[in-house]
Amino acid sequence: MTKTEKRNLRNGLIFVSPWIVGFLCLQVYPILYSLRLSFTRYSGFGKPVSVGLENFRTLIQDPLFTKSLYNTFFYTVWAVPLGVVVAILIALAMNQRVREVAVYRAILYLPSILPLFALSFVWIVFSNPRFGLLNYILQGLGLPIIDFIGNPVWTKPSIVLLAQLGAGGPALIFLAGLRGIPRELYESAEIDGAGAMRSFWSITLPMLTPVILYDIILGLSMGLQVFTQAYIITSGGVNMAGPNNSLLFYVFYIYKNAFQYTRMGYASALVWVLFVISMILALSVFKWARSWVHYGNE
Amino acid sequence: MKRSVLILLTGLLCLSVLAANGKKEDTAAASGSDVVSLKFWTSHTPPDSDTLKAMVETFNAGHPGIEVEFIQVPGSETDVAKLMTAVRGGTGPDAYMLDRFTIAQRAASGVLEDITGVMNKKDSAMASAHVPYAWAETQYKGKTYGLPFDTDSRVLYFNKDLVKEAGYDPAVLDPSNGPQTIEFIQEIADKINKTDGTGQYTQVGFIPYDTKYSQGWHYTWGFVFGGKFADLASMKVTPTDPGVVAGYQFIKDWAAHMGPQKVETFISTYAPPNNPPEQDPFLIGKVGMMVNGDWVLHSIKQYHPELNWGVTYLPVPEKGDKPATWAGGWSMVIPTGCKNMDEAYEFISWMCGEEGEKMYMKTAHLPTIKSLLADDSSFDANHLFFKECLDFASSRPPIPAGALYWDGLTQAMGEVTLNQGDVKAALQQVADQVQPQLDALK
Repeated sequence: MTKTEKRNLRNGLIFVSPWIVGFLCLQVYPILYSLRLSFTRYSGFGKPVSVGLENFRTLIQDPLFTKSLYNTFFYTVWAVPLGVVVAILIALAMNQRVREVAVYRAILYLPSILPLFALSFVWIVFSNPRFGLLNYILQGLGLPIIDFIGNPVWTKPSIVLLAQLGAGGPALIFLAGLRGIPRELYESAEIDGAGAMRSFWSITLPMLTPVILYDIILGLSMGLQVFTQAYIITSGGVNMAGPNNSLLFYVFYIYKNAFQYTRMGYASALVWVLFVISMILALSVFKWARSWVHYGNE
Repeated sequence: MKRSVLILLTGLLCLSVLAANGKKEDTAAASGSDVVSLKFWTSHTPPDSDTLKAMVETFNAGHPGIEVEFIQVPGSETDVAKLMTAVRGGTGPDAYMLDRFTIAQRAASGVLEDITGVMNKKDSAMASAHVPYAWAETQYKGKTYGLPFDTDSRVLYFNKDLVKEAGYDPAVLDPSNGPQTIEFIQEIADKINKTDGTGQYTQVGFIPYDTKYSQGWHYTWGFVFGGKFADLASMKVTPTDPGVVAGYQFIKDWAAHMGPQKVETFISTYAPPNNPPEQDPFLIGKVGMMVNGDWVLHSIKQYHPELNWGVTYLPVPEKGDKPATWAGGWSMVIPTGCKNMDEAYEFISWMCGEEGEKMYMKTAHLPTIKSLLADDSSFDANHLFFKECLDFASSRPPIPAGALYWDGLTQAMGEVTLNQGDVKAALQQVADQVQPQLDALK
């Protein structure tokens, strides 16, 4: 390294140092600290008491651990694929070549601006079995009413539906992806006699696969951390997280253990189990993606 | 060269900002030397928070050396996340209003200051001034961690119009006739129930296990059936005690009788999360009877004074059984890390003293101070019945896993009502979950 290079490196590091310090102190340190806590009994106050693997042994026998894991997987398995489909549909609608497209884009994106907690409050009113708009429509169609927040069969699907109101964010990314597909591809397809559907399946979708992969990975990590909606809809989960604990999501259970039961050690153990599960899932998705993601330059 | 000057300047700027901040704090501390500022947090909401605020103002007016700031924070009976994170970060309040039955648990986890020393220094008669069960809840390992602030009792409220419509004379339910049997109450309740074309309830007689708009808790029915929830001598939780099991069996049977999912749907229709207090299903006449505490007196007065209501004892299993109920209540505590222990104690002991507790009675709460309880003239007629119920009231066991136990029992309740699961198995699971925690803390 020359003198200038050394000096540039030093100055560069100084300039990014706020981030480096923040990253080390506010992210790396707490992560490692929680690993240490997962082997202790700790209330958040006083000294952590080392208990070896006790927290992990408790965890295996804890019925609420299994339940919260099941709830979270249920949500993720439905919300992520559905989220991709809805986002692509919105993106396609946003990409129509009509004059008022800007207005449509704004309307379609609008629900995503609302914070999740506000949407959750809206959902409570919207889904009321007798007075809510949703059940009013169902009844109008001659269908039975659905108790979206009091029936354990419906509580999780209702959160999956609610999540679709936030699809505007990913839709923008899909829109960018759509705009990035070269026009010539469609033109040559048209000359070859391909219709709209054919072009969609053979050009649009394959060209979007990198964005789909991105959206799945992002959705997976967000899905496993689902919390806010359940927290609001169950009024903070005091006593029970929804009927039959059907909205006790994994992160919600971590929160309850850490702050309601003051079991920081146990909560940390739960966190690390979730971390390992997320890693495994993310890696398998990447591996699986090799067989279907199409990068334009290949 | 130029670049290093820039770095130097930036550094200097940062330092000066830091220095300025430091100076500001110094002056604040200096001016605070004659008036001590305290922060008081509560998770209570109107109308109670209005009374609390007025109390703080009265205290400030009478104590020129202390300035208490009233702050409303998120939280609930068993959720003190805000308090915990603030205390851990060194920004906690000097006084906090805590559900009394969780004191032992919060003291065990280290969130609360031991106030035994400062209390004995100032006022050694504090312990004997309060009713014994309330005082017992402030203790952990022989030390005092808070002062009792108020208490309450649970009774059966009924809507006289709905009872009359069902074909019964509301006078039958008058407390002077003694407690009614569960069988009789169910008979009335069944006649009040109304359903629409799809079979969903539009009006119900009585949901004894509702906890969304009323107080149909596990403890309510466990105590009614003579249950014992813990053995304090050996520090064991006893959810499988025959009385507790009978209480659970009762709510299970009741749920099966009404249709568990239909009951749930009624509740999510008329008492959804965040339901405003003026839309309470009992207050708007959708519920014939409910278990609830004395604070409802104030809600009725404030939101639906036109309601034609009455109160009586909780129903009993057999004719001639003695009435039962339970009493809870809140407390004032000093969170860990408080720097002005003397002033903070001054404040909480005023709040939990005669003057404070008397003011709090305004929004329909019972005092814990014996001398206030002994003076019937300070209660209005409706409130007096609740006070009389204190004579036979039980209270929750003051164990250092109180909040966890509460949640476990609640979960078992959902298991036996909505799922119609096995009562004994559900309660055994509660013991299996809570006992190891209790063993670690006792």
